[in-house]
Amino acid sequence: MRIVVNGEEAGTKEKGCALCGATWGGWYEEVEGERLFFCCHVCAREFINMLNKLKQATGWDRVDELVINGDYYRGRNCEARHGERSLSFYVKFGEDAEVTTFRILSENH
Amino acid sequence: MPICPACEIKLDSWRSVTDHMSERAQRSDPAHVMWLNRNLSLREMTKEELEERLEAFFSGELKPWIISRFIEKFYGEKPHPFMVAMQNPSREVLLGYVIEHQHFLVNWVRILSKIVYETEELPVIRYELGNITTEFVGTESSPAHYELLLRMGESLGMKREKILSTPPLKGTVEAINTWRKLSQRHWVETMAAMHSLELVAHKNLRRYGARIHYFNERILDSQDFPEAVKNFLREGYEADQYHAEEALDLVERYAVDQERVKVTVLKSFDAFSKYLLSRLERAWSLEAEVIA
Repeated sequence: MRIVVNGEEAGTKEKGCALCGATWGGWYEEVEGERLFFCCHVCAREFINMLNKLKQATGWDRVDELVINGDYYRGRNCEARHGERSLSFYVKFGEDAEVTTFRILSENH
Repeated sequence: MPICPACEIKLDSWRSVTDHMSERAQRSDPAHVMWLNRNLSLREMTKEELEERLEAFFSGELKPWIISRFIEKFYGEKPHPFMVAMQNPSREVLLGYVIEHQHFLVNWVRILSKIVYETEELPVIRYELGNITTEFVGTESSPAHYELLLRMGESLGMKREKILSTPPLKGTVEAINTWRKLSQRHWVETMAAMHSLELVAHKNLRRYGARIHYFNERILDSQDFPEAVKNFLREGYEADQYHAEEALDLVERYAVDQERVKVTVLKSFDAFSKYLLSRLERAWSLEAEVIA
């Protein structure tokens, strides 16, 4: 999966956390067969919960590309791709890393 | 005295705080990593750089420090989305404001009452009771902000009973819970945590570097909005500058541990951001109802 956070590729220690883009910390999770870097376990849980919600909303079995723009203060506008199909959405998390808002902005799937 | 802004242990120097934070960040401790991400940098730093940045971040007199940090968080390069929405607010955005803010205001006066109970300083008691009167009780000649808020909702077509019976969204609940926790701290910290939020409608914040005002001031003279909307916005526009400034002067006068007050204020700002997003989320759900 190609991950872009606020304009920069992410998902490794050198590039940054797959959810927020930070290079602090060193938490790893296996996601869709890839070892992804996160700054902490909260970001990892948020990312996985977001991905599950996305798959539930679209019926996709995998995500090829995820572009995330935003942060804690603004929430996150995202664009996901699966082959030729795509979905734009806004996501926000609660204090237990759960998805509290998942708002579909536009879809082509 | 230097303090870890995440877990709030006191240490003898900023070097010790740096060692402590670096060690916690290396272990991916969420509280420490999140604090660094939200306040200093997303990019990992050397210990030397981190020590320098931490010390610089916490330096400065309390009142201007709070104002600067508030502007950075809410009115900086990327203003908060709720403030952006308020530059040209839809009916749903204003109703989202009404529905979530009624819960904020009830909690507001409950926490201010706690300050009154805890402090022995008469100027603080007088100030807080005045604020409670303006925000929640009102006078014969001047309705309370709470009442003006409900009238704004009614003017936009929502019945008072419907407004009052709508429970808060989860983000609002989480923010209120944070403020209730902060109210267990020393009353000066609680006072700083709450009244720094009144900077949001401070009409002269642009002088200090804010990029936009809380709302588009043209609304106050526009024919496109009901009078009750203008009355509510105008009241905050006129009052919050004095509320915030006077309260922050009192905080500065009575604060003993400035670093701890600063750490508390940042926690309040994080809760406030979450709460403002709830107003927008409420607006989106109202828009969805209209479409359905």
